[in-house]
Amino acid sequence: MYQRIQSQNQKISNRQIIYYCDLLWCLVVRELKILYKRSLLGIAWTLLNPLLQLLVFSVIFQQVLKAGSGINHYVSYAFSGLLIWGWTQSALFQATGLITGNRPLIRQPTFPVPILPIVTVTTGLIHFLLALPALAIIMAVDNVTLTWNILLFPVLLALQFILTLSLAYPLAALNVTFRDTQHTLGVILQLLFYLLPIFYTIHDRNIPQWLQTFYAWNPLVILIESYRAILLDGTFPNWSGLFTLAVIGGLLLPIGYQIFQHQSERFVEEV
Amino acid sequence: MKPAIIVEKLGKRYSRTSTQRPRTFMEAALQGFRNMKPEAEFWALQDVSFSIAPGQMLGVLGHNGAGKSTLLQVVSGIVRPDRGSVQVAGRMGALLDIGAGFHPDLTGRENVLISAVVGGLTSREAKAKFDSIVAFSELEAFIDNPLRTYSTGMQMRLGFAVAIHTVPDVLLVDEFLSVGDLAFQSKCLDRIMQLKNNGCAIVLISHNADQVRTLCDQALWLQQGKTKAYGDPEMIATRYIGNMDLKAQGQALHNYSQEIRIEDVYAIRDDGPARSIDSGASVRFVIRYQAEQIFQNAIFSLNLSDEDGQVVFNTSTGGQKYNIPIWEGIGEIALVIDRLDLSGKQYYISVGVHSPDWSKIYDYQWQRYPFAIHWTPNKDSILNPPRRWEIMAKGDRWIPLTTEAIQLSE
Repeated sequence: MYQRIQSQNQKISNRQIIYYCDLLWCLVVRELKILYKRSLLGIAWTLLNPLLQLLVFSVIFQQVLKAGSGINHYVSYAFSGLLIWGWTQSALFQATGLITGNRPLIRQPTFPVPILPIVTVTTGLIHFLLALPALAIIMAVDNVTLTWNILLFPVLLALQFILTLSLAYPLAALNVTFRDTQHTLGVILQLLFYLLPIFYTIHDRNIPQWLQTFYAWNPLVILIESYRAILLDGTFPNWSGLFTLAVIGGLLLPIGYQIFQHQSERFVEEV
Repeated sequence: MKPAIIVEKLGKRYSRTSTQRPRTFMEAALQGFRNMKPEAEFWALQDVSFSIAPGQMLGVLGHNGAGKSTLLQVVSGIVRPDRGSVQVAGRMGALLDIGAGFHPDLTGRENVLISAVVGGLTSREAKAKFDSIVAFSELEAFIDNPLRTYSTGMQMRLGFAVAIHTVPDVLLVDEFLSVGDLAFQSKCLDRIMQLKNNGCAIVLISHNADQVRTLCDQALWLQQGKTKAYGDPEMIATRYIGNMDLKAQGQALHNYSQEIRIEDVYAIRDDGPARSIDSGASVRFVIRYQAEQIFQNAIFSLNLSDEDGQVVFNTSTGGQKYNIPIWEGIGEIALVIDRLDLSGKQYYISVGVHSPDWSKIYDYQWQRYPFAIHWTPNKDSILNPPRRWEIMAKGDRWIPLTTEAIQLSE
C-alpha cells in the first residue's frame, strides 16, 4: 500500500490544478520546440506535409484515377480529410512510443504519467489548428461558403480529442509489454488511411457492401463526415452520429485510462 | 512531531520472466502467448521498516544489489510495494534521475524552466527561481546555448541546481556526491543540509559510510533486501566499514591500484613459520608488502574463511584509527593472535591494503593463502574455545567432570 498524505486545504488543490495546466502547456511547448528547433522551415512543416500529400491526391486520384468525380470541392474535401485524420494518426503513433521513449520522466517521483498522452494529443491539436488558415484559403479558392453551423467546429474538436486520447492510453501501455506495437500500429494506421473516406466518398456506388457496413459502424467515419458537413456542405451534422460519438468517447476514455493506470504500476520496472 | 515518512514491513517482489519471454507482439503470437508468466520471483526488499521525522536524515548503506535503489523507488511511489506500507507526507523531491526531461536541442534556459515544472514547480514559481537556479549552477555564461554543447559535468550541475530548488518536504537522494567536482559537491551538500534544517526529511543513499556517520540522524544497512541494522549511524557506519573489505571478494578480476602490493602472507608459530597450527595456539600472521612510494597512513585488513567462503574471522586496523606509516620498498606488518580458538579445518587467509578512508583498495587477495588448524574431534563446530563440563553435586556444588570417578557418597 502506498499513501501520499497532502496537507489538505483548498489552496493546495488550487495550486494542483494550476500546476497540471502549467505542466501540460510546458510539455506541449517542449514538443513543438524540439520539433522545429533544427529545421530551417520551422513551423511551416506543419503545413508542407499535408499540402504535398494534397498535391499527390489531387493529381493522382482526381486526374488519373478519377476518384473525385461526383465530389463537390474535391481539393477542400481531400485536404480537410488529410488534416482531420492526420491529427489522430500522428497522435496515436507518437502516443504508442510515449512510455518507452520517456524513461527519465516516468521515473520522476511526482510526475503524473497519464499526462503524457494528453500532451501528445494536444500537440497534434495545435498542429491541426495551425493548418486551419491554409484550409480556409483553399476553401475560399474552392468557393466554399460557410454557414453558422461552423460554430460546431470546437465540439467536433473536443469529440475527436476524447476519442483519440481514449485509444492513445491503451496503446501506450501495450507498447511497454510488446515493443513492436508501434510498428504494427504504423501499418494499421496506413491501412486505415486508405479505408477511411479521406480522398473518396462513401456514397460511391462502387463501394462493396461489407465496406459500407464498416463505414456505418466506424466512429472515425462519423467524425470525418460530421466535420465535412459543417465545413463544406454548411449543414448541421447528423444528430445521432454526434450522440454516438459522445457515447463512444464517454465509454472508451475511462476504459482506456483504467487500462493505462492498471499497467502503469509496471512501467518503471519494464522500461 | 508526526513522521514525514513511515515505512512498515515493506516488501518488493520482482519477477524473473523466462528468457524465452516474447518481447514483441509478433513473437507472442508465434509462440501462442506462452512464456508470458514469470517463472521465478525474488524479493528485492523484505520486511524493511523505518520512520523519518521532518528535519531528519536517514542514511541507507549497502553493497550493490542490496536493494537501496529499489527502496528509494518504492518510497518515491514510482514502484508499488508488494507487502507492507509506505506513507509520505507532503511534497516529494528527488535527486534520482538528474535532468529528467532535458533535451539536447533546447537551450539551458528552456531546459531549466521545463525541468523545474516537471520537478513539481508551477511556471510562475519556476520563473521566480530561475536566476537562483542558474547562479547555483554557475552556468550564467552558457545558459542560452543548446544543451548539447554542454559537457556531462555541466549538464549534471544544471540538473542538480534545478532539482535542489524545488523545495520539497521529503527529499530522496541517490549517491549524489558521485557527481561534479569537489567544490560543487560541497555546495550541493550545504544546500541539502539547509533543506534539512528547514524541516525537510531526507533519505540519502550512499556508499560512503563516513558521510552517513557525519550527516545522518539514523542509518539503515541493507543486505540482500533485508535490514541488517537500523539505528545509530555512528555504530552502523563503523560496523559497515569493518565489513567492507569483504565486498572485494565478489570482484573476480583484481584491478587494484597496486601502489602498495601484497607480496606474501604467512603464519608464524612459536617455533617458526608454519602452514598449520593446533587449535587454541597463539599465532602471528605476517603480511609482507611492497610500496611504490611513501604513504602517511593505510589500513590493513585480514580475514580467515573456510572453503565455502564463509568468513569466520575478520579484522582490520581501520577500527582503531591506527597510524600506519608506509615507507618505500618492502615492509612487514603482523597481526598477533594470542589464542586462535577455531575448530580444525582448512582455512584461507585473505588480506587487503586500503587507503585511510577505505575509498581505495591498493591491493586485495581473496583466499590466496591456505592455512590449516588441527583439532582432533573435528566435529561440526566453528569455534573451539577452552572449556570444561561441570556437574551439580548434591544440589549445592559444581564439580568439574574428570575421567576419574566422582565419589557419590561422602
